[in-house]
Amino acid sequence: MKKLLGLAIATAFAGVAFANAPAGSPAPAFTVTDLAGKPVNLADYKGKTVVLEWHNFGCPFVQKHYKSGNMQALQKKYGSDVVWLAVNSTNKSHGDYTAPQKLTKELKDANAAPAKYLMDEPGTMGVAYGAKTTPHMYIIDPSGKVVYNGAIDDKRSTSVDDVKGAKNYVVAALDEMKAGKPVSTASTTPYGCTIKYK
Amino acid sequence: MTFPRLLFPLAALVFAATAHAAPVVKTEHVEAQLLAERTGTQPGKPSMVGLRLRMAPHWHTYWKNPGDSGLPTKIQWTLPEGWTAGPIQWPYPKNLPIGHLLNYGYEEEVVLLVELTPPASAKPGMAAISAKADWLVCKDVCIPENGTLDLNVNVASAEGSPDNRWQLSFERARGMLPAQPSGWVFAAASTGKTVTLKITPPAGTPLPAKATFFPDRDNVIEHAAPQKSRVEGNSLLIEMKHQDPVPKDFTTLAGVAVADRDWPGIAGRKAVVLEAAVSASAAPAAAAQSTSTTPGSGGGARSEVGGSVLVALVFALVGGMLLNLMPCVFPVLGIKVLGFVGHAHGDAKALRMQGLVFSAGVLASFLVLAGLMLALRAGGTQLGWGFQLQSPMFVTLLAGLFFVLALNLSGVFEWGLFAQSLTSNVSARGRNADAFLAGVLASVVATPCTAPFMGAAVGFTLAQPAPIALTVFLALGVGMALPVFLLSFFPNLLKKLPRPGPWMETFKQVMAFPLYATVAWLVWVLGQQGDIDTVLGLLLGLVFIAMAAWVYGRWALSEGPWRYAFTALFFAIGAWLAAPGETTARAATNATAKAGAIAWQEWSPQKVSDLVASGQPVFVDFTASWCVTCQVNKRVALNNDGVAKAFADRNVTALKADWTNHDPRITEALARLGRNAVPVYALYVPGQGAPRLLPELLTPSAVLDELNRLPAAPAPATAITQR
Repeated sequence: MKKLLGLAIATAFAGVAFANAPAGSPAPAFTVTDLAGKPVNLADYKGKTVVLEWHNFGCPFVQKHYKSGNMQALQKKYGSDVVWLAVNSTNKSHGDYTAPQKLTKELKDANAAPAKYLMDEPGTMGVAYGAKTTPHMYIIDPSGKVVYNGAIDDKRSTSVDDVKGAKNYVVAALDEMKAGKPVSTASTTPYGCTIKYK
Repeated sequence: MTFPRLLFPLAALVFAATAHAAPVVKTEHVEAQLLAERTGTQPGKPSMVGLRLRMAPHWHTYWKNPGDSGLPTKIQWTLPEGWTAGPIQWPYPKNLPIGHLLNYGYEEEVVLLVELTPPASAKPGMAAISAKADWLVCKDVCIPENGTLDLNVNVASAEGSPDNRWQLSFERARGMLPAQPSGWVFAAASTGKTVTLKITPPAGTPLPAKATFFPDRDNVIEHAAPQKSRVEGNSLLIEMKHQDPVPKDFTTLAGVAVADRDWPGIAGRKAVVLEAAVSASAAPAAAAQSTSTTPGSGGGARSEVGGSVLVALVFALVGGMLLNLMPCVFPVLGIKVLGFVGHAHGDAKALRMQGLVFSAGVLASFLVLAGLMLALRAGGTQLGWGFQLQSPMFVTLLAGLFFVLALNLSGVFEWGLFAQSLTSNVSARGRNADAFLAGVLASVVATPCTAPFMGAAVGFTLAQPAPIALTVFLALGVGMALPVFLLSFFPNLLKKLPRPGPWMETFKQVMAFPLYATVAWLVWVLGQQGDIDTVLGLLLGLVFIAMAAWVYGRWALSEGPWRYAFTALFFAIGAWLAAPGETTARAATNATAKAGAIAWQEWSPQKVSDLVASGQPVFVDFTASWCVTCQVNKRVALNNDGVAKAFADRNVTALKADWTNHDPRITEALARLGRNAVPVYALYVPGQGAPRLLPELLTPSAVLDELNRLPAAPAPATAITQR
C-alpha cells in the first residue's frame, strides 16, 4: 500500500514535471553533449531551421524508418539549410542504451547523417520537450519557435512497407517553410516506442 | 449408470474428434490461438470467434487506442467465399504507466472478439478460416510479432453448443466488453485545458465512486495526467487534462468509462461505451445543483438538454412560488391580498378575471425580462440576474415608486380621482388594469431576490437556446402567479380570509412599513453605488415627492387646477433632486468589508488561482449589496465568531466578490460556476478541481461543516485514479 502510494505520488509529480513544447511555443533551450562529448546548445543554431528526431535503434518503429532508408534520406535531403539533430534520451540502465562509441559505429553502418547526435541520458531535454516516443519529431524555425511537433508520418506501424505511400509530415512542413508558407499540419500525435526515460 | 448417461461422454468424444482445437502459434513473447465460441455455426448467422493472446509475464499488447506509444493488434482475415468478419470487439483495457507516459493495453491474457458470418448458402461441413494477426508486444522494449492462425469452423444446420474448453475465456472477454446502456446521459465540457465528462445513469441507482476514461482517439487527453472522478448528485464526473493543442475537430468525446465496480443497472459490467458531445466554456463540473448547467450549444447535447429542461422547469416553478414569500415581493402581495379581500365577497367572475389578469401581468413581465436578457446576451453584454439593480437610475426609480406606494398605504393620498372611488364604482376595466399592473410590479420587484432553486434555474436558462430560456422564464412566472391565481379561482379559500372591515385600513397602513423598509434598503443600495451626496439627493427628492403626494391627497376634493399644478411641480423637483448624477458609479469595494472578524480581501480571479496554486484554501463570497439574501447570510452565517475562528484555524483566505456594480469578471466567474445570480459561496480546495458550492441560504453550521472537512494542514495534491 505504502509503495503504491509512493508510486502514485511519484507519478503525479512526474505528470507535473513532464513539460510540453507544443507547436507555436518557443523551443526550450538545451545544452546536451554530442557523441564526442562536446556540449551542444540550441542557441548555436539561431537563425537556422532545426529538426529534432528522438532516436533509439532498439525500437522497431525507428528500425522501420532506418531499414527503409527513409530517415537517412531525410537527414540529407535539405543539406545545410536544415540542422538535423538526433536525440537519444534512453537511460543508462536500460537494455536499449548504447554507449557513444558503439552508437557512432551503428550510425555509420546505417548510413545515418544527422548533423549532431545528442546524448540526453538524464532525459532532461526529452522531458523539457515532452518527447514521448521514438521517433518523435520537432521542427524549430529560425526564430526559435516550434513549428511542428508530432509523428514522422501518418502510418502508425512497424512495417517497412508502410513508409511508401505514407504522408511524411516533416517533409510537408519543411517544404512549406522553404516556400515561405506557414506549416499547415503543425501538430500530430507521435507514434512509436515509449522513450526509456530514467 | 443408465444408457443415455453413458452416451453423453461418448458423443463428446466424437465431437472432439471433429472440432479440433486450432493450433497454437508461439512467438517469443506471445502464445496466440483462434477460438470458436460454439461447436457449430449456422449458415447466414453470425457466430463469435476470439483471438486469444497470452503474453509472457510483464509483457503487454495494446488496446485500439494504444495511448502514448505502441500499436493496436491487427487481424487480416482469409475467409472462404461469401464469409464476412466484423471489426475487433475490444475488451476494456487497463492503464499501463511507463515513466512519464501511459499506455492502454492488456497483460497476461486477452481475447479479442470478432463476429464471423458464413453466407446463407454455406454448405454444412468444415470451413477453413485463417487470420494473420500483427501485434506489438512490449515490456521495456517492444517487439513487433505476428502469426498466421488457422481455425476449422463446423458449419451445421443447428447452432452448436458452447465449446466448454473456451467457455471461460469467452465469458471473461464478454464481461469486459463495454456495455451500451440505454437511457444514460453523457455530456462533456471543455475549458480548453481540461475536459470533464459527465455520466448520468437513470436516476435512483447508486453510482460507483470512481471511473477511468479510455478515449478512442489518441490526441484528445493527456493520457498520463491523473484523471479526477467524483460524484455529484446523480452523475459521475471525470475531469481530464487536454492534450496541448486540442485538435480542431474535437467535437465529441468517445471512448470507454471503466468504473471501480459494476455500473448500476448493468450487473457484471464495469465498462460502458459512450459518446458525448463536447460543449465549450463552463465545465459541467461546476453544476453542483441537480439542474444541469451544461451550455447546450448546438444540437449535439440534445439528450442532456432534454433531461434537465424538465428539472429546470420544475425548479423554476417551485422557485417562482417561493418568490411570493421573498421580502421584496411580499409587500406587493399584501396590496394584492387587500384587493382580493375587498372583492371576494362580491363578484366571483370578476375575481377570476382579476386572477387571470394578474397572472398575465406576471407572465408578460417575465417574458419581457427574458426577452431583454436574451437580446442583451445576444449583444454580448455580460449580464446576470438582478442586473437591473446595478443601475443607479433603476434603483432610484424603484425607491421613488416604493415610496409613493408606501405613502399611499399610509393614507397620505388615494389612487384614483376621489377617495370614495376605491370603495365603490371602480370600473371592471380599471380594476383589471390595476391587477395587471400589480402583476407587473410583483415581477419587477421579485427579480433581485434570488430564492433557493432560482439561481440554478436562471443559470441554466442563460446558457440555453432562446426557446428553452423563454419556457423556463415562463415557468418561473407561472410559479409566481400560481398562489394568487388559485385564490381567485377558488374563492372558497378566500372566504376563509377575514371579512373586510375597519381592520383593513389598519392592516393597509401597517403594510406601508415593509415598503418604507424596502425604500430604506434601496437607499442603502444606492449609497453603495454612489456617494453620500447621491443619497442626500435621493432623500431630498423623496421629501418633495412626499409633498407632491400630500398635496394630491389633501386637496383631493378640490376641483381647481392648483392641486395638479403643485403636485406636478413638487414631483418634478423631487425627481430632479433624486436623479443620480454622472459620478454615481463609484467602485464600492471597500464599503462592505468592515463588519465581522473574518479578514475579507478583495476578490480577483488571479488571486483565487494564485492562492489555490500555493496550497491555500479559498472561500469566495459572491455578493452584492442589493441582494437581500446575501445580507441575511452575512449577518447570520458569516459574521459569527465560531465561523470566523474556523476560517482562521483552517487558514482559509476569504475573498469578497462584490457584484453591486457591473463587473464582467464576476459575471464570468459566476457563469463558470453555472450561476448567474448571487449569493454564491464557493470553497476552493487545493488539489480538487472545481470548488465546492455552499447552499444559498447559509447557516453557520453549513459553513462550519464545509470548513471542518478541510484537512488542518494543506491538502496533498494526490487525487489519483487507479493506475
